[in-house]
Amino acid sequence: MTTKCSPPELRPKKLDILVAAVVLVLAVVVAVGFYGPKLGQSDHLTAVISVGEEVIERVDLATLKEDKLLTVEGECTLNVLLSNSGAEVILSDCPTQDCVHTGHISRAGQSIVCLPGQVVIHLEGASDEGAPDIVVG
Amino acid sequence: MMKKLLPLLLCLLLLTGCAPKPESLDIFAMDTYMSLVAVGDEAFDALQKSANIVNSLEQAMSRTIDSSDVAQLNATGSAALRYDTAVLLEEAIALSEATLGSFDVTIAPLVALWNISGDNPRVPAQEEIDALLPLVGSEHIHLSDGSASLDEGCAIDLGGIAKGFASDRIAQLYHESDLSGGFVSLGGNVYVHGENTDGEKWNVAIQHPEVSGGYACMLSLTDAFVVTSGGYQRFFTAEDGTVYQHILDPATGAPAASDLLSVSIILPYDADKLHGAMADAYSTALYVMGEAAACDFWAGQQNFDMVLVTRDGRVLYTPNLIDHFTEVEDSGYDYQVLTA
Repeated sequence: MTTKCSPPELRPKKLDILVAAVVLVLAVVVAVGFYGPKLGQSDHLTAVISVGEEVIERVDLATLKEDKLLTVEGECTLNVLLSNSGAEVILSDCPTQDCVHTGHISRAGQSIVCLPGQVVIHLEGASDEGAPDIVVG
Repeated sequence: MMKKLLPLLLCLLLLTGCAPKPESLDIFAMDTYMSLVAVGDEAFDALQKSANIVNSLEQAMSRTIDSSDVAQLNATGSAALRYDTAVLLEEAIALSEATLGSFDVTIAPLVALWNISGDNPRVPAQEEIDALLPLVGSEHIHLSDGSASLDEGCAIDLGGIAKGFASDRIAQLYHESDLSGGFVSLGGNVYVHGENTDGEKWNVAIQHPEVSGGYACMLSLTDAFVVTSGGYQRFFTAEDGTVYQHILDPATGAPAASDLLSVSIILPYDADKLHGAMADAYSTALYVMGEAAACDFWAGQQNFDMVLVTRDGRVLYTPNLIDHFTEVEDSGYDYQVLTA
């Protein structure tokens, strides 16, 4: 006499599908979270303005309808011109004027630093192919 | 089907979940702006320890913190030195001798006289410069068993080498930590470690000295120091319109009349050497030397790599860099490989 084993239940249950869906969503979210933003970059060129170690303003430059003049009060006072193409310190009452000498910055990863004012204007996002990881100079 | 898919999805989750995100830290210290990035399981710890290193070095070597070794030495003519100060001062003297005085930490009295990076820069009279020039020279520093003394009237400024030394210490920490990559950028002093976030070598751009936001060239590097010196960013303009950049020539006591716009020195990480400090000192020294003497110096030593940007529109680089070097098309520069 032979007995016939019944096959295991192979058809997915609703719970299997739910678990799979959650795992998939989590995997995608984590992957996008890691590979998407490179050191906090977004799609748009964004000016991040810091005084000391505190970020005081983030401006999405791509969405600016017209140039924006920003007065930044740190240890010194800086007038920062923001436009679709980048950022520039046009006036500063700091003694060294290094921030003014830096001129216009336009690419993600570039910064203007005012040491006496403890002000940093850093560009993020809109990374282009072959963009450097670090600029030295 | 679902039972096959589920393990795959879990693997995907594990893969993505294991990839660590970069941690970053930005601080103002040692008279510059510092940006540090680390990737790996110990990234956060590595950055905290890096900040402690920087803080400790600043407390020891700042000219403006009264309790620092350097301030004490300058004020009283002698001081007991912390370990790192003693190590760096000994290295500074050796590098001064190696560069025949083109880099010299005893330039401090003249830096103070011109005050180009300070609140009230001015053009001193030649008599004032002449009065201080005899105080310049590493022979005025005397080291002995963890203490130092200076000849009468002399003073030191480690600003031209301390940031490079800080990058040495942080590079050592990065190597001892569980990190896949990272970098430190300490005001013109860069160290790149391991791989970037794409799993490749780090792309380091050398700033174009004449075009805001432009690049002179790109270097693809790992476990290496890159230090750039130039006079194009830190300078002051006198009332008559003359521009005085901040790097002084120890031989004349005046801003170096260099035919170079910038000098970048590239050295690999070596646990037994202070290559960050060496790159820092050499970048200043070779800028002061000018093109011909800098090329002769490199040909004589050949233990470092460099990129020179000349005032007449050329970028000169050493042959070891060929495989790591990328020209920038719209830079306007003529690129040439040096030969020994």
